[in-house]
Amino acid sequence: MLTVKNLHASVGDKEILRGINLEVKAGEVHAIMGPNGSGKSTFASVLAGNEKFTVTEGEVTFMGENLLDFSVEDRARKGLFQGFQYPVEIPGVTMANFMKIAVNEQRKFRGEEPLSAGEFLRLMREKSAIVELDAKLTSRAVNEGFSGGEKKKNEIFQMAMLEPKLAVLDETDSGLDIDALRIVATGVTKLHTPENATIVITHYQRLLDYIVPDYVHVLYKGRIIYSGDKTLALKLEKEGYDWLINNQEE
Amino acid sequence: MALLDYLHSIGIDCSSSGEVTLPGGESALLLVNPTKVECGIAEQAEEYFIILHTHTGESRLLIDIAPHAVVRMLHVMLCESDCRVELRQQTGSRCEMTSVIVAGARFDYEADMNGSHASNVLRAAYVIGGQEHARVAVRINHNTADCRSNSLVKGIAGGAAVGEFEGMVYVAPDAQRTDAVQTSRNIEIGGEARIKTKPQLEIYADDVKCSHGATVGQLDSEAVLYMRQRGLSLEQAKRLQVEGFVSDIVYQSGEFGEVLAQELASKLELL
Repeated sequence: MLTVKNLHASVGDKEILRGINLEVKAGEVHAIMGPNGSGKSTFASVLAGNEKFTVTEGEVTFMGENLLDFSVEDRARKGLFQGFQYPVEIPGVTMANFMKIAVNEQRKFRGEEPLSAGEFLRLMREKSAIVELDAKLTSRAVNEGFSGGEKKKNEIFQMAMLEPKLAVLDETDSGLDIDALRIVATGVTKLHTPENATIVITHYQRLLDYIVPDYVHVLYKGRIIYSGDKTLALKLEKEGYDWLINNQEE
Repeated sequence: MALLDYLHSIGIDCSSSGEVTLPGGESALLLVNPTKVECGIAEQAEEYFIILHTHTGESRLLIDIAPHAVVRMLHVMLCESDCRVELRQQTGSRCEMTSVIVAGARFDYEADMNGSHASNVLRAAYVIGGQEHARVAVRINHNTADCRSNSLVKGIAGGAAVGEFEGMVYVAPDAQRTDAVQTSRNIEIGGEARIKTKPQLEIYADDVKCSHGATVGQLDSEAVLYMRQRGLSLEQAKRLQVEGFVSDIVYQSGEFGEVLAQELASKLELL
């Protein structure tokens, strides 16, 4: 589904990603961990097409196409979803209105008819239940006045509405209490199918108790320096990154 | 012209002024391109004015609002024109106005709070583009104690348009316990649009609660990126953000909210 080869990316003249290689197949869950400033969020933003970053080298293939050829919105319409670490507030724009446009844009892109008002409302009800999102929030402005937990639930709600092929969730667990974490994580798990894939970027092993990864990668200084299975996350939780980083520098 | 089409569809003839009945059964006084109107609202009466500017001209409205009367006004300037509204409010009266301007128009609004416990609310939004020049001036005179006023004016300028806001809250020496808020919020779209805002307070009483604020900003690029990540085009994302920005002005105007939002949206498309 996604093949990343030797990806380098910079912001201004500062290189942040320095040769990432990653292969994600349908049905897989990958976790990306690593110390602060290692480039995890940049990697998510570059995949999503954020123009703040410049890809200087390497290739990214998504569903057989060169992902780097496409704009942010076209990547989204092709089925790439980025869960934001800091979801943005949009005053005056209701969730329902925003989602209706987003869902119908995606349908138009696929050559499908727009949803009727009734179909859309049914879809919203069904999907908001997945993350136990209060139905009232859909009539409020996007993320405005939402608590930290509600913002993250709202990201997963949008993911449920858009049914992406690949979801890149950037620290979806940060700032969540235990209950919200459980709800958000089980929401992601419910959305997982053999046809889609998820990349979760996280600092903490506890998210991975719910979202069990097939692979865990450690990103350090813009490169994946180590990959393993789910037991790697447990080891990192216990021992930290030092043993890997020291190894790297030898 | 979303608003004119809507009014037509509910059987309201916008070619002349007169009493009209709205779908909800409420009656309103429709004023189309009024040149000069002077009227008084009787004690405890309720009146709803719909004021439309559909062609170039000058208007002056002078309304005396007797004690405990309630006045609501919907004011829409669809083309370049000049309108001055003067209100004189007596004890316990209320006046609430929504003004939507989609042209290089000039709108002067002045309210004299002459009786205690009167309240005045103004919500205005203008959207201009091209070479248009719009000017909104708001002056609220708190001449007696215990009155409240709240003015919110939002401006959006695109192209090489120029928008201006001039506000003044005057609080007379014995107008104690005045509660006045005046806010000017603006978005410039593109590098050539200009918005000037000048909110002012002139306070001669000491026990008052007055605040004013003004901002001029650009579109929020983080919000635009967020929306594009969900599949909206750059244009859709910008438009939705701007619509959201003015939504609190129009959606307070009851049944006309939707149609005024459309009126603003179609203007935004031209920017």
